[in-house]
Amino acid sequence: MSKSKKLTVNRRGFLKGAASAAAGAAAIATQAPETGAQTQPAGAPRSNSPAPPPTAAQLERDAGAVRPPAGGNARAAVRPGSDLMVQVLRDLGIEYVAANPGSSFEGIQESVINYSNTPNVMPEFITALHEESAVTMAHGYGKATGKPMCALLHGTIGIQHAAMSIYQAYYDRTPALLIAGRDLGFIAAHSANDMAGMVRSYTKWDATPKTLEESLVAIQRAYNEAITPPCAPTMVVIDMELQKEEAGAMKVPAYQPPQISGVDPGQAREIAKSLLDAQNPRIAVGRLRTPAGVKLAVQLAELVGASTSTSATQGPMSFPQRHPLCGPGANASYDYTLGLEQPGTVSLTGPSLATLLSRDTTNIGFGGIAPGVSRAGGAGRGGGRGGGAPAGRTITIDAEASLPVIIDEVRKQMSPDKQRVIQDRSAKHADANQSARIEALTRALDQRRAGWDASPISTARVYAELWPLIVDEDWILASPSNFSGAHNAQLWDHNKPYSYLGGQGAGGMGYGAPAAVGAALAAKSRKQIVVNVQTDGDLNYAPGVLWTAQHHQLPMLTVMHNNRAWHQELMFVEYMCGVRGRGTERGHIGTTLRDPFIDYRMMAASYGMAGEGPITDPVKLGAALKRGMASVKKGMPYMIDVITQPR
Amino acid sequence: MSTTRSSRMFVAFAVALGLAQGVAQSQAQGQAQGQAPSTAKPVTTLTSPVTGNAVTGKKLYYDHACYSCHGFNGETGARPFVPNWPANLATERSFTAFLRGRANVAPVQPSTSMPNYPVESLSDVQANDIYAYIRGFKSAPPPLEKIPVMNQILSAAKKPYKAQ
Repeated sequence: MSKSKKLTVNRRGFLKGAASAAAGAAAIATQAPETGAQTQPAGAPRSNSPAPPPTAAQLERDAGAVRPPAGGNARAAVRPGSDLMVQVLRDLGIEYVAANPGSSFEGIQESVINYSNTPNVMPEFITALHEESAVTMAHGYGKATGKPMCALLHGTIGIQHAAMSIYQAYYDRTPALLIAGRDLGFIAAHSANDMAGMVRSYTKWDATPKTLEESLVAIQRAYNEAITPPCAPTMVVIDMELQKEEAGAMKVPAYQPPQISGVDPGQAREIAKSLLDAQNPRIAVGRLRTPAGVKLAVQLAELVGASTSTSATQGPMSFPQRHPLCGPGANASYDYTLGLEQPGTVSLTGPSLATLLSRDTTNIGFGGIAPGVSRAGGAGRGGGRGGGAPAGRTITIDAEASLPVIIDEVRKQMSPDKQRVIQDRSAKHADANQSARIEALTRALDQRRAGWDASPISTARVYAELWPLIVDEDWILASPSNFSGAHNAQLWDHNKPYSYLGGQGAGGMGYGAPAAVGAALAAKSRKQIVVNVQTDGDLNYAPGVLWTAQHHQLPMLTVMHNNRAWHQELMFVEYMCGVRGRGTERGHIGTTLRDPFIDYRMMAASYGMAGEGPITDPVKLGAALKRGMASVKKGMPYMIDVITQPR
Repeated sequence: MSTTRSSRMFVAFAVALGLAQGVAQSQAQGQAQGQAPSTAKPVTTLTSPVTGNAVTGKKLYYDHACYSCHGFNGETGARPFVPNWPANLATERSFTAFLRGRANVAPVQPSTSMPNYPVESLSDVQANDIYAYIRGFKSAPPPLEKIPVMNQILSAAKKPYKAQ
């Protein structure tokens, strides 16, 4: 990409000399001498001398007393650069931009809310109360749709507020587009020469473009990098000057989607032949990238009459759980197994996080991965327990991109005789899988009668009461269920790519509510509803996201799993107390949320959200859930505080 | 709920191992690991003598966080014990021996196993009090056919699958 001529010179100098310098830009120029930044190109390293103490003017700004410069009432720009940035986002299909407001991206924010004849639509500005919430919203949205959502981060402080959530989305292989605003001349503490460096170990790609043109291309590249496996968050740092620059007649570059490779034709022929020659083929399906991949997996399984396994009860983008071919099938001796993002006899697994280790310039060995150390389970995190994975041939290639060519090959090699065999086999699989499903469900229900009438309310009852209310809806269970018994895995059917969004990613708390809000953003425009079984400790990290749900009127039902503790931690500490023999009656210290109990109904009410509770009588649960569902189906969030058994 | 900062590594490790149901499963596994081996079958009715004070036992059950794994009435959680009472709960003596039975084993990884309860932590009298309290636990959930929600779940599962 060529640099624009004007920006090969110092941008601040350019701004200082620009006749059309606007209020904001002029403020930069007049303040620049305080930091000395006007003598350095943006991004250049500064001297090692200690930073000068803040001036009186600096302190005044930091305290919030920011004024436009005297004189000059010229308009900032006729066509500001940030308008083009927003147009790029629109062209990419970015529905939402979540942010806690910050001056370093005020140009972009203004463009989101004012640009074009359809302002604040595609993308819509989503008000977040914490950067961690904004990025986790993108995380939840990304898992629900397979597409990136955008989060804006304010300088060094916004990036660091967001850091854990970026790490978690990265660990969860979820695409997200992060744009960090920078202004080297405004508040020094909010700027750095290499801002993306703060999170480089756990972002896939980043750029700090030097020109407006570069910025537009960088956003497109960041989007493509995010959705190209291994999917992950990417970051573009955009200087304030570029947001406010006059774009003149500059055109938005045409977007070119990424080319994601699948298996080569020879491999596809071999796989297709093996599937068709097998007497009892199987397809083991892990987590694919997008809903389109799930559709293709279904298509392939139906074409060849293979029974399938799914990870749909563990996370998104896998095979429909109730599909007639999903299950052990009529015969559990498989003579050929194809793994799709799942270890198997022949596995197609996308590049793993290990391929990104070169990004870990700090060598922190994040997530237990250090250079040279392979991760348990190899490439497919969704694919089992590593050491237990069956030995087989793994082709490191994106499964989703491989499916169309394999399907084509299957069609080419199909014969009427094979079709008859496949139809017969599929019918037998369907019968066997349905019988197995009913048997397993009956057993699961019987087990979950235990404590049915107990108070506090059993977590099994929470999930059981919810299911009839959503079974005929288009729903998303956005919250991780592992801390509330994971009863959905046995009692519910996960038939959509987004039915269950799975765990936190890296076990980072403060995830449930913001991820559910992100999923609810996706749900709102798709006429879906979101269920958030919210653990109490998790909500208290950044509960302000409830306000976001209310403010934007999102279809999200929050059911508190309120066991008044960080419960797993309580068990850990109790064990430690026990083995050391020094008394277990103080294990509650630092692990429980009591004295006082937290009133989540009041918490929700303070953010304007309707709700009820605390509910301790199990008989009252069902009616409360119905009221909640009625609200959510009208597009309004609702919270029900349920006092629950610990697990 | 839940977990906190110090358990992140554990959770991440569990996730890395593909334990999608993760903590619940590892919790159950750890529990099994921490228990004294017993080959005797569980029983549904206990008749052995009870000498402890159930009222005091209730407080101890709470203070020592027994509920954290066994639920507030022994029916739920990672390790329910009613109505199928394990053999180590057959008598006061077996219960106390069970509490004392776990050696001072401190695994490097965090554990949700049953803690050890040496006499310095819980006296024999206190153990009897807890025993008296939990012996009062009853499990009499309605039969499946009497729970409308469960029947709805079963009916829904019997409907033909709709292609997505």
